[in-house]
Amino acid sequence: MAQGRILIIDDDPDITEAMTVVLENRGYEVCSARDSVEGREQLQKAKPDLIILDVMMRTSQEGFELSRELKNNAKYKDIPILMLTGVKDKTGLDFKSAAGDESWLPVEEFLDKPVKPSVLLEKVEDLLQKS
Amino acid sequence: MENLLKSNSLIGQAYWLIRLRWVAIVTLATASFVAGTVMRVSLPASALYTMSGLLLAYNLVLYELLRYWTRGNKDPSPTRIGDILTFQISGDLFILAAILHFSGGIENPFSFFFVFHMIIASILRPRWQSYLQATLAVVLFGGLCLLEGAGVIPHYGLTGFSGHGLYSNGTHVLGYLLVFTITLYLVVYMTTSISEQLRAHQEELEKANTQLEEKDQVKNEYVLRVTHDIKGHLAAIESCLEVVASGMLGPLNDKQKDFVGRAHRRTTKCMAFVMALLKLTRMKLSGRLDVERFSLHDCVLSSLASVQSRAREKSIVLHHQIDPAIREVQGEAVLIEETITNMLFNAVKYTPAAAWAWKSSRTVTSSRSRSRIRASASPRPHCRTSSRNSTGPRTPALSSAMGRAWAWPLPSRSSNGTAAASGSRTIPAAAAPSRSHCPTT
Repeated sequence: MAQGRILIIDDDPDITEAMTVVLENRGYEVCSARDSVEGREQLQKAKPDLIILDVMMRTSQEGFELSRELKNNAKYKDIPILMLTGVKDKTGLDFKSAAGDESWLPVEEFLDKPVKPSVLLEKVEDLLQKS
Repeated sequence: MENLLKSNSLIGQAYWLIRLRWVAIVTLATASFVAGTVMRVSLPASALYTMSGLLLAYNLVLYELLRYWTRGNKDPSPTRIGDILTFQISGDLFILAAILHFSGGIENPFSFFFVFHMIIASILRPRWQSYLQATLAVVLFGGLCLLEGAGVIPHYGLTGFSGHGLYSNGTHVLGYLLVFTITLYLVVYMTTSISEQLRAHQEELEKANTQLEEKDQVKNEYVLRVTHDIKGHLAAIESCLEVVASGMLGPLNDKQKDFVGRAHRRTTKCMAFVMALLKLTRMKLSGRLDVERFSLHDCVLSSLASVQSRAREKSIVLHHQIDPAIREVQGEAVLIEETITNMLFNAVKYTPAAAWAWKSSRTVTSSRSRSRIRASASPRPHCRTSSRNSTGPRTPALSSAMGRAWAWPLPSRSSNGTAAASGSRTIPAAAAPSRSHCPTT
């Protein structure tokens, strides 16, 4: 069984629930938040090893803004962020190639929704191992 | 020919006048030669040739002036170009009056050429300027006729062509000038009326077109937003189904697995449609194509997988054979897969409970050429088609569909090859083109 605490920040409860089942099934401890405000609270409470972060929540860039904020915070900057979104389909921009750019998109990994359970687990394991 | 009614094509109009003048120069020189040499009409040839030369020089100067002003995509002010147009039209009237002076004056039927100048002025310039040009023409020609008639300036008669003395016949001159004046003003009135109506109509059309483009933009933005929302819901459905299908929430019996699988496949398909719609809308909004590298091999396999269940329902067995030479291509993956899938669906739909074949071949003639996907079905021995390439009939929708869903081979990897899914069953007439001899089902 895998070990680790994961925080999912996504405004879609169905996707959050589905990912929670997948991750818990593998043995991870999962908590969730519906937006960046809730996300910050959960960060303090849960102290996650990994954050799965959606982009478009209350605003179209909330996820981007939160990722920059976290990476600029010494307390959270080492927590890897896996960004999940369908924003590429709307904008046509390839965010995947920009992932890791510290000034613009400071996240460790970027995946387009929907993500297959196997891909999600693979990425999560990979990021947790690296961290 | 450029749109002469468009107010923003003044430079084009100026060049158009210059082109017309080249024709006029050649015509003047030729007419002088023919009239003097062939028709034996008494003309001051040297004066007329000099006029041709002056006209040539005048046109060259105007041409160079325009080129200078428009060099390096410079955009001269509309006022300046408008002044040039006015100058050209007025200049032409002076030149025509001078030519007529040296070629019979009122006796020369070419005096009707003033009408052409009035038409040109009425099309290219505002109404009030056109009337001024008509007035200038009347003054020039009228003055010429009156001065010649009064003997103030010499008259060069067209001996051998028209009768003498008309120029000095006061009644004839006044009558002629009256008709001439009325004609010119009427021409200006009618032409400006028509051209103004056309210009107004054109402006309305342009405005309507702009509005349509704006509405199309709004519609596309709306489609983009709605489609993105639909995609969000589909992604959630797909994620939930995957969790259920994977057995994470408990084991499923065969029937449950089957139904969850069906729902998952339909969701995946729906997601593909939504993605394609998103992509198309984005391309429409941005005005550029969004190409990507993809495996044509996988694309064909995916299409085949999509129609498997439909084929199974009709007890049709699908066989395929794909040439390994076909690997990656560059293009619109979603559209190409949809095209192939639709083609296969049609083939299955119109096939009775009998085998059929589908063949996809890709021909690359050069690294820059477009690849082609050709679909065909091989009939059973008793059901021959007369397709010339003997690969069977093309699915009707393919040609037009391929117009949108295109692919380029990647130069480094492409090579001639054929991908084929072959079998040995019958295709019905409905799926085949008109030359098929298959019985209608």
